[in-house]
Amino acid sequence: MKKSIIHFFVLVLLITVSTDAWAQKLITKTGNIKFQASTPSNEEVAAENKSVSAVLEPSTGDFAALVLIKGFRFKVALMEEHFNENYMESEKFSKATLKGKMEDFDLSKVTSTAKNFTLKGDLTLHGVTKPITVTVKVSKAANGVMAMGSFEVKPEDYGIEIPNLVRKKIADKIKVNYNFLLVK
Amino acid sequence: MKRKRTAFVLAALLIVAAAGIYFYYGFLFKGARDIASEKADFNITATKLLEAYNEDPKKADVLYLNKTIEITGAVTKETDSVITLENTVFCLFTQKIKEKHLDHKVSVKGKCIGYDELFQEVKLDQCTLNQPHN
Repeated sequence: MKKSIIHFFVLVLLITVSTDAWAQKLITKTGNIKFQASTPSNEEVAAENKSVSAVLEPSTGDFAALVLIKGFRFKVALMEEHFNENYMESEKFSKATLKGKMEDFDLSKVTSTAKNFTLKGDLTLHGVTKPITVTVKVSKAANGVMAMGSFEVKPEDYGIEIPNLVRKKIADKIKVNYNFLLVK
Repeated sequence: MKRKRTAFVLAALLIVAAAGIYFYYGFLFKGARDIASEKADFNITATKLLEAYNEDPKKADVLYLNKTIEITGAVTKETDSVITLENTVFCLFTQKIKEKHLDHKVSVKGKCIGYDELFQEVKLDQCTLNQPHN
């Protein structure tokens, strides 16, 4: 019992400390991620998530993003169900994260015209973590920066099996577009 | 004898057609979940929900993930389409929120999509606002 009380206080302390430390960080809780896995002349396979969380530490270029898989919305309900139950197994792996560092990031060099930065980090998806390099277009916005771009992901790299029956309907490389308005 | 046979064939055909229609509309083109009209599985306060996730995220996921839940708490932050309750529950609305609710106690119904470790918040989407209580 005593131990659990101590744990609770440590947790509270951790929460307050971490929120304090983020005072200068640029954040968003309503980032946007869209992915496109359609193949030519087949039904559109695409979804959008409007509640992606991301944090950027401007002094170092450290970047972290977290997306909840259940928050992806498809046009077709059955597709959303298959995505969650068969492919992403979102009951077991409820989130995907990207943690990394933007090389040579300097907030003072960011202007209203987009500048490319290279983000090197680890992408965790479906319980599998792999290194990834992403080019991020960063531009100045009111009270912060706009970070956007796209990258490609192969489902089999992350242990996502696609049955032969639907193999032709889902692209080998899935295009992921992201759009974050990071503010103070 | 013949009449009986035609009746039988007709009945069988009807059953097959009905099954086909059921499969087509009920399965292939099943409508999306309408969270706004679903009855909430749980009705708890924002602080209780976060406590559950802090204690045991796996257990909380089993209980709440993908479920329609109703959360009560004071509004600590609001933007066009997002209401944050007690700084702990993030509620994304499908439509823009017209009225102002800051500092008022409200009850929000939505689908729990999981726990956000970056900001220590539980996230809900497809939210709707129930009648505000004072």
